[in-house]
Amino acid sequence: MPNITLSGVAKSYGGGDYAVKNLDLTVPDGAFMCLLGPSGCGKTTTLRMIAGLEQPSAGSIAVGDRVLDSVERGLYVPPEKRGMGLVFQNYALWPHLSVRENVEFGLRMRKVPGPERRARAEAALKMVHVDAAMDRYPSQLSGGQQQRVALARMLAINPTVLLLDEPLSNLDAQLRLEMRAELKRIHEESGATIVFVTHDQLEALTMATDVAVMKDGELQQLAAPMEMYARPANRFVAEFVGSPPMAIVDVGPSPTGLAGSLMRSVEARAGQCAPTAVGIRPEALRLGTPPGAAWHEEAVVEAVLPAGSSWTVRLRILDTELYAVSYTPVEAAAGDVLTCWTDQMHLFGADGVRLSSWDRTEVGA
Amino acid sequence: MALLTKAQTPPPPPRRRRLVYRLRVLRHDPTAALGLILVILLAYLVVAPLIAVLSDAFRLQYGDDVHAGQQPGEWTGYYLWRVFRSQISGLLFWEPLLNTLVIAVGTTLFALVVGGGMAWLVTRTNVPGRRWLAGALVVPYMLPSWTFSLAWLSLFKNERAAGQVGFLQAQGIRTPDWLAYGAVPIIVTLGLHYYPFVLLLVGNALRRIDAQLEDSARILGAPQRTVIRRIVVPLMLPALSSAVLLVVGRVLGTFGTPYVLGLPADYRVLSTGLFQSIRDRSTGVASVLATVIVVIGVLIVLTDTRLMREHRRFVTVGGKGAMDRLSDLRRWRWPLFGLGLAVFVVSVLVPVFTLLLSTVTRTPLDLSTFTLDYWLAEKLPGAVGFPHGVLRGSELWTAAWNSLRIVGLASLICAVAGLLIGYVVVRGTAPRVAAFLRQVSFLPYLIPGIAFAAASLSLFAVARGPLPALYGTTFLLILVMAVTHLPYSSRSGIAAMMQLGREPEEAAQIAGASWWQRMRRIIFPIQKGALVTGIVLPFISGLKELSIVIMLTTTGTQLLTTLSIGLVDYGYTQLANAVVLVIALVSFTMTYLTQRLTKSSLASGLGG
Repeated sequence: MPNITLSGVAKSYGGGDYAVKNLDLTVPDGAFMCLLGPSGCGKTTTLRMIAGLEQPSAGSIAVGDRVLDSVERGLYVPPEKRGMGLVFQNYALWPHLSVRENVEFGLRMRKVPGPERRARAEAALKMVHVDAAMDRYPSQLSGGQQQRVALARMLAINPTVLLLDEPLSNLDAQLRLEMRAELKRIHEESGATIVFVTHDQLEALTMATDVAVMKDGELQQLAAPMEMYARPANRFVAEFVGSPPMAIVDVGPSPTGLAGSLMRSVEARAGQCAPTAVGIRPEALRLGTPPGAAWHEEAVVEAVLPAGSSWTVRLRILDTELYAVSYTPVEAAAGDVLTCWTDQMHLFGADGVRLSSWDRTEVGA
Repeated sequence: MALLTKAQTPPPPPRRRRLVYRLRVLRHDPTAALGLILVILLAYLVVAPLIAVLSDAFRLQYGDDVHAGQQPGEWTGYYLWRVFRSQISGLLFWEPLLNTLVIAVGTTLFALVVGGGMAWLVTRTNVPGRRWLAGALVVPYMLPSWTFSLAWLSLFKNERAAGQVGFLQAQGIRTPDWLAYGAVPIIVTLGLHYYPFVLLLVGNALRRIDAQLEDSARILGAPQRTVIRRIVVPLMLPALSSAVLLVVGRVLGTFGTPYVLGLPADYRVLSTGLFQSIRDRSTGVASVLATVIVVIGVLIVLTDTRLMREHRRFVTVGGKGAMDRLSDLRRWRWPLFGLGLAVFVVSVLVPVFTLLLSTVTRTPLDLSTFTLDYWLAEKLPGAVGFPHGVLRGSELWTAAWNSLRIVGLASLICAVAGLLIGYVVVRGTAPRVAAFLRQVSFLPYLIPGIAFAAASLSLFAVARGPLPALYGTTFLLILVMAVTHLPYSSRSGIAAMMQLGREPEEAAQIAGASWWQRMRRIIFPIQKGALVTGIVLPFISGLKELSIVIMLTTTGTQLLTTLSIGLVDYGYTQLANAVVLVIALVSFTMTYLTQRLTKSSLASGLGG
């Protein structure tokens, strides 16, 4: 099975505004790629262009050697001939067809003979665990079941490429957790290449093999989820991925307060570099006695927010409020003064691009 | 590691390449072609007739060259002069205009008082049997509008016009002309037909007013009367203005009633004047009159939308607190029920029973002369053009079949076109096409039917280009009827498609369905309900339609409505009444069944 390649893809709705700007993206064969970004970043437009429901204003889209769109060469394959699967955000089940007929539809279009059609539809429904509701109509199903039927409808045709447009956003928290695991399993079982659109960074981190972060129609970073978390390409990615988000402290020409304190530590370690901002992830900000060389500072506890397995602490360090997340119990009350320290920082340059990260392991190596 | 793109926007590919790509895309997506076809059709069927009638008003017609001293076909102000300033312009235009205004104002007041009062009674009071009253009082709308005028004649006709005199005259009570013909009977009969409009519109608005708005005023110390004056009435203004303009617009284009009740006394209104000009073949004058009616119609609707826009700012008709808060009528409960019942009796039972009895008695309403001859006789003595009972011979059945066939086809075309317009608009690949379709398909709403029929005659009566003259063909009737009902069907088609959204079709497309398969298996099956209402509502109002068809039918294509008017012309009152009863029966039954089966509200189909 081949890669999906987007090269120089742009989408404009006229008026000089671009929903997608000059996007180069390769989805590796068999990947579970997540397009992640805030609303209006062009991720859904990109997905719909891959599906063929919208047409790029420039650039080309290909699956392996098969060119699906090429504005420059005047090539176009309509959606119905692309053989992909697409699960819509609101499921788009056909209300006048039963669950079975919904799932059989794609096979019917492919002229699959009756007995095989039934068998494959049943197999697809079994895969998503709604085979019991086979003869009901979509309006008689719960949201989670509808979601599964929508998935089965696309799985039944064994697509090599499966596209998912925010498929979990209309589900409640419990179902969402369940479906995440389910999607991951289906990805492994079907072997399809999956492209998945979401604005929920947690979904992206938990399910994807590759994450592409987009903003204002531009690709910000393409990386494996943990790689992206550890080494965000720029300030936007750093702040967008992770919850609570990374705290980023702007550093002026002659920094004072927290910024000044951090910069003294950075300069001592990294020597020649001039970051404009320093970022610290909440879980990297530790409480207690600092080991040897780590940066440390006095902090006033403003609030402790226990959440069962973790403790989020709002701290005031010098002139700045920060969040710290601890996975061991925090025995402090508002007003207490503690020492906090970190050995992991992210340094960002003038245009927000990440210069380097500094942590104990790297420095030690 | 990180992978970054170039941040700049790309250079657009060469224009020619983009065009090749666009064409390739269009080849696979018939929506664009469909949109184009609809645009051409609408331009031809809606816009072209209006241009044709306008141009006829300003070009010298054949036969007028001697009077005007110009060559036929030349641009001329002759007809404008003739209609507005000449010696006969009083007769041609000013008097009919004045009469039209009198009737419009009178009918509107009548409908407002009766409809508004009844609306309050059935929505806001604890009058006994209010649910029944609410349904029963809408029945007049289901009858053809000129049913009332025929019933009126059966009661009040005097010897001035041909045919049998009415009941009162037959009893020896002389009915004066002002009671038998002219403004008074026209206002009363039209008012009886149109008050359900006001009832429905105002009733809906009253029902939706948030009771919390009234409660807030009352808590702040406002007495009941102040609450009504300062809160309820201002909130009702949009519905009231809509109702008023709707009734005025309808009265402007109504033909049957002023024809039946006005012409015997030479009481002319604009619509009957237009009809006569066309029958006299004075095309130029007819075109000017049609243009005037179109202009007035457009002005009315524009005023309505303007008023609505201004009102929308403060209209807060919320669903949540909209509960039925009923005023307790106490000892007035039964008297007011009696009033409601009286309105029902006068507007439904009296006309229907008058008509029914008149068809089974030789002397009007005198049961001692009971006879079924007018329905069943093989031979009626004295009758020439129609020498047998209505159920005998072929006339009624031919006309019924024509009505069914022509109105049915027109409704089918109308509904499908409405749905397709909705489809193109919602697919929205070309915003300008969508805007054109939306607006032009709504245009006939602005134009009273009789003026639109006249405009269509201007365009289609003669052969133009490759198209033969269509006058007198059923094809023309079907087209014009479909176009006049298009505003309603395109509105509901757009609404239905909007509600459905694009996803179900896109899902089918992804699953591999071609355009035809998507239409056949997904869109039309899902929209089955909308399609059925889209056919039935125009069908019901089309069956009762007179003002459009009167201009376009010939003896070859007689419909039920024109058959009945023809019998009135002959003076065969009983036979005409019998045909109208048949129409009323069919239209009432269908409306009732549709409401029962589809649970659709009549208010949404104020089409007829």
